[in-house]
Amino acid sequence: MSVIFVALPVALLMGAVAAWACTRCIRTGQFDDLDSPPVRMLMDDKPLVKCDVSQSETNL
Amino acid sequence: MQSKTVSNSPETNVSRTIDACDHCGLPAPARNGDELTFCCSGCLGAYQLIHHWGLEDYYALRDRLLDGDTSPVNANSPSDISWDELTEANLLGESKPIEIGDGLVCSRLAIEGVHCGACVWLIEKMAMLTPGWKDARVGMHDHSVEVIYDPALTKLSSIAELLSGIGYRVLPWVEGSGAARFRNESRGRLVQIAIAGFCAMNAMWIAIAIYAGEYSGIAGSQISLLRIVGVLLGAVAAFGPGRTFFRGAFAAIKSRTPHMDLPIALGVGVGAIAGIVSLLIGHTDIYFDSVAVLVFLLLVGRWIQFRQQHRAADAVSLLMRMTPLLAVSVANDGSHRTVSADSLRPGDHFYVIAGETVPVDGRLIEGATSVDRSLMTGESMPLPIGSGDAVEAGSLNLQSPFTAIVISSRADSRITKLMKLVEEASLKRTPIVQLADSIAARFVVIILCLAAFTIAIWWSTDPMQAASHSVALLIVACPCALALATPLAIAVTLGRAAKRKLLIRSGETLERLSRPGKIWFDKTGTLTQGRPQVIVENFDAHTLALCATLECQSTHPLATAIVDMAKQRNITLHSRELVSNVEQTSGAGIRGVVDGYQVSIGTLDFIRRSILELDDETIATVASIAKQGVTPVVVAIDGEISAVIGIGDAIRAEAIQTVELLRERGWEVGILSGDHPATVNAVAKKLGVSGDVMGGLSPEQKLLKIEQSRQDGKTIVMVGDGVNDAAALAAADVGISVRGGAEASLRAAPVYLADGTLTGIINLVDASAATVRVIRRNFRISLFYNSVAVGLAVCGLITPLLAAILMPISSLTILSLTLGSNTFSVTESRSEGKP
Repeated sequence: MSVIFVALPVALLMGAVAAWACTRCIRTGQFDDLDSPPVRMLMDDKPLVKCDVSQSETNL
Repeated sequence: MQSKTVSNSPETNVSRTIDACDHCGLPAPARNGDELTFCCSGCLGAYQLIHHWGLEDYYALRDRLLDGDTSPVNANSPSDISWDELTEANLLGESKPIEIGDGLVCSRLAIEGVHCGACVWLIEKMAMLTPGWKDARVGMHDHSVEVIYDPALTKLSSIAELLSGIGYRVLPWVEGSGAARFRNESRGRLVQIAIAGFCAMNAMWIAIAIYAGEYSGIAGSQISLLRIVGVLLGAVAAFGPGRTFFRGAFAAIKSRTPHMDLPIALGVGVGAIAGIVSLLIGHTDIYFDSVAVLVFLLLVGRWIQFRQQHRAADAVSLLMRMTPLLAVSVANDGSHRTVSADSLRPGDHFYVIAGETVPVDGRLIEGATSVDRSLMTGESMPLPIGSGDAVEAGSLNLQSPFTAIVISSRADSRITKLMKLVEEASLKRTPIVQLADSIAARFVVIILCLAAFTIAIWWSTDPMQAASHSVALLIVACPCALALATPLAIAVTLGRAAKRKLLIRSGETLERLSRPGKIWFDKTGTLTQGRPQVIVENFDAHTLALCATLECQSTHPLATAIVDMAKQRNITLHSRELVSNVEQTSGAGIRGVVDGYQVSIGTLDFIRRSILELDDETIATVASIAKQGVTPVVVAIDGEISAVIGIGDAIRAEAIQTVELLRERGWEVGILSGDHPATVNAVAKKLGVSGDVMGGLSPEQKLLKIEQSRQDGKTIVMVGDGVNDAAALAAADVGISVRGGAEASLRAAPVYLADGTLTGIINLVDASAATVRVIRRNFRISLFYNSVAVGLAVCGLITPLLAAILMPISSLTILSLTLGSNTFSVTESRSEGKP
């Protein structure tokens, strides 16, 4: 069981790296907006009709 | 219209005279079959635009996200910035486009009216479809949109126009100090949670290893390694992310106000220090894992509350919303130039077209018009002004363009001073001692006494054990369940309220509203509709058609009321060509020939001038209408009186019921209004409000009145318009705003009723009482767990393992009870009544 003397620091180090990465993501603003990203995935990428804005007034 | 397949709320199969508008969900004329219906031409235009772009999925997505509850995307929201002028970089401020390479530029704009994911979808899809507009990224959290476009193909102004065409208000971005502070605090809190989470999770597996090792036999060297690492992690959690509790406790001691942080800091601090000490002296009872998990859970609970409270962060400044950023200055040679409103100096000349808001205080030198001064006075009727009259910033020019001379610059204008009052008033609002905090104070005293008692009874047996048992007591007695459940109970209510379109900025509001106090209502636009309507009438269809046709020629609000009425009754108007000889007298009436009939509409005096004799009956009717606080208007056709009507500000349908229900719940109701006292009294009489009814108040006087009534010590609630009554709303204990746009309103008032109906107040009052009940129930359960744990600790039966099991159980019980509570269920059946 003496492997714990190696395994424990390694595990902590791995956790620390993840915590550091998470902190970095927070600091760069990735978690600022928690409202729009969850709905963005609901938007289907259907092919859309391309048209000119100026036309839209006259065709209606 | 090409498509009839717009999905809508499930209520459309009920037959009635009014339907929800297919675009914005506001009341609209009844639909024929499955035809679409719209409340106004703005919504129709927005629908057609969205449909033509093949983006009708917006409606489906919106309905899915909001559960059939359509959001008020207001298509005809006024655009007070002419974006065409905003090509000059210096006028754009922080929205100045930045080059990002490939010939593209990026600009950040503030956007109002983004309610849900469907809006995000619509705006981002629009970007893909517009030539030259490469990308849009909507930030719902700070109400911003970042647009990337090719300046060679399109202009920022045309993008802004597209967005306002479908009902989103776009303004240049102003980095408010509030927004930046919120962002930094939110990030800071998340970082703390990440660190605490790392410590807690690792401390937990180490704890499991220790307890399992003790059970099955483990080498001494290995268990001491586990202990050292575990205590280190616990200490990092306690003194790193956990130092916010120490700071709170320290502040509470310094200011001598009780705070929940006090017992938490005690438990966490004692746990961490005792862990280190035990490690150094070789004692085995250490509590590192409980400490780390405690810090992590509490931080998460507080962050959830923090986020709910800042849902509607104030991105758009209040002042910016009320006075335009740009003004048209008139040079000496008479030429017009668009400048920033801040650059106007006293003595300069400026020009305001009809429909625009006056940018600075000034005096008319050319032209005559009528202005809507409701922002400053709360008076709903337009005021005619002519050359030499003063005009205030924030007034809306209703009729015709005028030129005026600047009296005071924007920074010195009355509206700016009023906004300073708003800021000051909201700072002065005394914080209340929250329920959980007042409990916490007594808690600390009791726990410290019990700890001393434990030491006393164990001292004779063994001083070492006395210390360890009292440490155990201090740790298990930490009211973590309560400290976690209180913010969560508040956050849950805030979230549920937001779904019902009650936006609440501060959780304190719930506690303040849970006990009855005094509630002041503003009149114009709060208890009443806020725009003139025909209230008393004896029209026949023929007369109404003639009147409405003639009144189409006028932009006067009273004229609009008559035209609106004809539209509501589906009366076909005569064609415009049949109208001739139109003659308008400002402040008196309108006269003209419609389809061969000589039609005159106006005041009694105006009619008297065209008809020589008036019968007594007409004069009596006019007098009785005037007595009701309504403006009498007389209609004469071919020299004979054919109708006497009353135009006034109609009381909202739900106002009477709301006032009655508030009274039932023990609230005192009063009215504060800027309108004429007679009108205010007439409204008060209809609502059954007596006693505290005051009219003719300026915003400053309203503020004073609120501050005076606060001295009674009761909770003072002010219900009003988020823009007109900003100062009074900010001064009250709870300001509830019913109009004026969410972003601006929430700066002055902690509550905004987004659906614009007063029934929300009743829901809110009931939900507040229910939330406080949940918090009290949590406290009783938490107290029960704590008494058991403290009892065990006094008897010396608590081990670190038992503490590690007992604490999560108490937290879990309270959390599940909080999340399962129905704070809104009582009011649900009555107010919504939907299947």
